[in-house]
Amino acid sequence: MFGYVAEFSSASELYHAAEKVRDAGFKKWDVHTPYPVHGIDHAMGLGKSWLSAVVLCGGVLGSFTALALQFFTQVALYPTVVQNKPTNLFTLPAFFPVTFELTILFSAFATLFGLLVFIQLPRWNHPLFESKLFKKFSDDGFILVIESRDPRFKRDKTRSFLEEIGADEIEAVVV
Amino acid sequence: MAGLKNADDYANGERFKGAGIFGVLSLGVGVVATVVFFLVVILNRETVVDLGGGHTEAVSVTKCLAFSWLFAVVFFLSIAVGGMFWTMLHHATNSGWGTLVRRLMENLGIMIPVLLFLSLPLVLKQVGFRDVLWEWFKDRAAAEVVAEEKAEEKKGVYIAEIRGKAEAVKSEIAEVEKIKAAGGDITPGVARFYDDQIEELTEKSKVLSAHAEMEDEALVEELKGKEFQKVNALLYAKRSYLEENFWLLRFVLYAVVLGGGMYLLRSTSLKQDKTGDPRLFTRMQTMSCLILLPFAVAWTFLVFDWLMALDYSWFSTMWGVYLFAGAALNSMGVLVLILSALRRAGYLTDVITKEHYHMMGKLMHAFVIFWAYIAFSQFFLIWYANITEETKFFLTRNTGFWNVYTIMFLVIGHFFIPFIVLLIRYHKTTTWIICSVAVWNLFMHFFDIYWIVIAERAPSLVAGEVTHIPKMWMFDLLAFVGVGGIFIFALLKALGSASLFPCRDPRLDESLNLTN
Repeated sequence: MFGYVAEFSSASELYHAAEKVRDAGFKKWDVHTPYPVHGIDHAMGLGKSWLSAVVLCGGVLGSFTALALQFFTQVALYPTVVQNKPTNLFTLPAFFPVTFELTILFSAFATLFGLLVFIQLPRWNHPLFESKLFKKFSDDGFILVIESRDPRFKRDKTRSFLEEIGADEIEAVVV
Repeated sequence: MAGLKNADDYANGERFKGAGIFGVLSLGVGVVATVVFFLVVILNRETVVDLGGGHTEAVSVTKCLAFSWLFAVVFFLSIAVGGMFWTMLHHATNSGWGTLVRRLMENLGIMIPVLLFLSLPLVLKQVGFRDVLWEWFKDRAAAEVVAEEKAEEKKGVYIAEIRGKAEAVKSEIAEVEKIKAAGGDITPGVARFYDDQIEELTEKSKVLSAHAEMEDEALVEELKGKEFQKVNALLYAKRSYLEENFWLLRFVLYAVVLGGGMYLLRSTSLKQDKTGDPRLFTRMQTMSCLILLPFAVAWTFLVFDWLMALDYSWFSTMWGVYLFAGAALNSMGVLVLILSALRRAGYLTDVITKEHYHMMGKLMHAFVIFWAYIAFSQFFLIWYANITEETKFFLTRNTGFWNVYTIMFLVIGHFFIPFIVLLIRYHKTTTWIICSVAVWNLFMHFFDIYWIVIAERAPSLVAGEVTHIPKMWMFDLLAFVGVGGIFIFALLKALGSASLFPCRDPRLDESLNLTN
C-alpha cells in the first residue's frame, strides 16, 4: 500500500485539514491543489527549503569560475592590453559583466539540478498516478496524501482520522 | 483561513496624535541650523586653502556653502520623490500588499512642495548660489560680453564681406553670360556647359543674396553667435537648453509635475477616506498611469539641471535613472523607519505584520541591486570608452581623497553589505535588522549625494589639483540638519493630518491579510 488519497471540498477545508495533519505529527504527506494557496506552507508546517543554500553555492561558484577564468587568461598567462587599461587588479571592472552572467548561469543550473535531486526526478512513474481521485487535483480537487511509510501511519486509524478532519472521499492507493 | 481580518473593522482608520515635543524639537533644531547657515552666508568670510608647494588661495565661504545647501536639499528631495514614485507604482500596478503603507508613501511624497520651497535660495539669482553652482550662467554671460565686443568691432568688415560676396557671384554670372554670347554660333554641348555653370552660380547667388539682404542688426546677431562659438564652443552647442529663462520655466514645470501631481494623488486619497467611493480608487489608478511618465521626465531633467550641470561640459544619459534608483531605494528605507517608529509609539500595531516588512525588505533588496547595476553601468561605460569629455566626472572622484571614499562607501557600503544582509528572509522580517539596514542605506545615500555634489566644489572654486576644501564639511552637516529638521517637522504634520492608512480603500482587505 502506498497511502491514502483524500479529497476536500475547498481550499479552506484543505488548509484546516493540513493544520490538523501537521499537529498530529505526520511527516510523509503532501497536499495538491489546482492553484497556489497562500500560507499553505505554514499550515503544513514546512520548514525552510534547503534549495536556496544550493543556489547560493552555485552562484558563488559561478562568480569565482568567471573571475578565475578571466584573471588567469587575461592577466596572468597572457596579459591583454585593451584601450590602455591596466592588466592587474584594477582591471576588475572589465571582468564584471562576465562574472555577473556566470553567477546567474550557475545559480540557474544549481536551482534546476538541485530541485531535480530534491524531488527525485526524473523517474518513470509514481504510485499516485494509479489513483483516480488524485487526477482531480489539476481540475477542481483539493487533495491531501498521507503515505504509508510515515511512522504514524496505521491502516485503519489514519483512514478514520482523515474522515474525522473532513475528507469527502478517501481512496487507498495500492501498488 | 484562520483569523482573517475584516476591513470593515478598520473603516475609521487610525489617527496620529502628533509627536509632541519631538516635532517642536525637530522644527527648532532645523530652523536654528538654517538661520545659522544663512548667517554664515551673509557674513561672507573667506577660508584659506593650501594649494601645495607653499601656495595658498583664499576662497569665499559663501561660495562653498552654495554646494552644502544643494546637497542637503537634493538629499531630502530625492526621498520625497521616491515616496511619490512608490505611491504611483502602487496604483499603476494595481497592488494590494501596501494599501496599509500607502498613506505613509503619500505623506512622504507631499514633502516635495516643502523641499521645492527650500530650494528657492538655489533658484533665486539674488542669493548668489546659482552662479556659483552652475557655472554656465556666468560663463555664458562672459562669452556673450566678449561676443558683443568682438561683434561691435568687426561688424563693418563682416557686413561688407557678406554683401561683397553676393555682388561677386552676380558679376561672375554676368562674366559667364558674356563669354557664352561672345562664342557666337556654339554647339549644343558647349551651350549646355555654360548653362549648367550659370545655373549653379544662380543657385549660389540666391543663397548669398538672401544672406546679404538681411537687416544689419540680424547680421550683427549672426556675427555674435559666431564669436560666442569661438569663445566657448561647448556652451554654444548647448545654448538653447542652458538658457536662463528656459531654466526658470523648467523649474516651474518640475514644481507643477512633481508637487501638483503629488497633491492631486494625495487629496484624492484623502477624499476616499471620507466617502469610501470606489470610483476614486480607479481614478487614482488612471491618474498614476498618466503622471508616471511626466514624473520620470521631470525628475530626470531636474537632476540634469541641478546635478549634472554642476559641470556643464560633462554628460551621462544614465544620470536620471541613477538618481532615481537611489531615491526609490532610500524612500523605501525611510518608509520602513517611519512605520517602525509609529509602531513603537503604539500606532498600527494590530494591522501591520511581518509580512509587510518582508515585502518592503524585498523591494529594498531589489533596489539595492538596481542601484548598483545602474551605478556600475554608468561607471563601466565611461571607464571603458575612455572619452575625454566623459571621464572628467570619474577622474575627479576616483583620484586621491575621493577614490578611497568611492570604494569604501559606494562599492562596499552601498552595494555589497546591504545586498548580503538582505538576502536572508529572517533579516527582512525582523524589525530591528531591517531598520538597521534602512539606516545604513540612508548613510550610504548621504555619501552618494555628497560625492556627487561636494566633489565638484574644489574643482569649481580652487585652481590646481585640490580635491576638497577643508573644514567645509561642518557647513554641509549644518545645512543637512537644517533641511532635515524642517523636513521631519513637516512630515510629522502631514502624518497627523489624516488617518495613517487609507481606511476605506477597496484593497484594504487584501493588505490586512497579506501573506508572502
